[in-house]
Amino acid sequence: MLKIVCVIPAWNEEKSIVYVLRDVLRYVDTVVVVDDASIDNTLIALKLAKFSDNVKVLKHVVNRGQGASLQTGNEYALEIGADIIIHFDADNQFLASEITDVVKPLIDNEADVVFGSRFLSKKSNIPFFKEKVILPIGRIVNRIVMGENNLTDPQSGFRAMNANVARGITIEQDRMAHCSEIISKVIRSKYRLKEVPITVFYNEFGQKFSGGVNIIKELIFNKIIS
Amino acid sequence: MIQQILAIIIILFFLSRLFWQKKRQELGKAEFTFWLIFWLCGFGAIIFIKKIDLLLVDLGFSARGIDVLFYMAVIVLFYFVLRVRIRLERIEKNITVLTRQNAKK
Repeated sequence: MLKIVCVIPAWNEEKSIVYVLRDVLRYVDTVVVVDDASIDNTLIALKLAKFSDNVKVLKHVVNRGQGASLQTGNEYALEIGADIIIHFDADNQFLASEITDVVKPLIDNEADVVFGSRFLSKKSNIPFFKEKVILPIGRIVNRIVMGENNLTDPQSGFRAMNANVARGITIEQDRMAHCSEIISKVIRSKYRLKEVPITVFYNEFGQKFSGGVNIIKELIFNKIIS
Repeated sequence: MIQQILAIIIILFFLSRLFWQKKRQELGKAEFTFWLIFWLCGFGAIIFIKKIDLLLVDLGFSARGIDVLFYMAVIVLFYFVLRVRIRLERIEKNITVLTRQNAKK
């Protein structure tokens, strides 16, 4: 039986974290929440919810960003013997029931990494500007940075990987450029990757245009110094 | 001439600050040497600005020596900014490693 561990980075998610965890726990063996120095009541909400041992909360004492939180979660998941690691957002934008779809190609040994894509599904309510302007620019940048690939949604935060991949790649982009970094490393290491359709519910706009510009800056700077 | 005197006064001010920081042991030997050479080069360039002008003419450039010094200063500044950013990035990475180790305890 494969051990499935879900890593959820959380920063100021007091409103949604407990709900998301209850939902996700139905589909995985263990959830690792990485609290990235939240300044709201995220930790208190988790404490009050009194989850059992299958929820582990790790706390960053200093805010390090989503990429850093995912790497912390990956390392911990490997330490507790995870066979499959899922990355999932804490803001209730993803459907926990779709974990089964994302994990299936890994269980069937058809892929080493599976990325969820908003564009393979008609259900996601992506804001117009984001769908028609920001994400196409993101795709072009990703092709430039990562080389040719056919991924439809390079900025998706819903992904799953087997333990071999989690051991093989280290997320070094602490902030938001980690999505591109993970894909880049997966392609370079020639892991088998697959995209599956997922649904995203936008509570807010999500990543803003300035956030996209920051990602490009981070990627370029990293190219210079690496 | 007045510009040269002003530039020399500024350089002398920075040199005195440099020696003062060294005296207070706020600078390492390597860093002190680097900045000493840096400001002495600047001092020399100001003193021999006319010679630099002539050298540039000999090399076929139309720019004045002071312009060249200005361009070089901008390049050096960009280089220092990049160095600071790289160092900052390293510190950031180290903070992440420490934060991660602490979280997993």
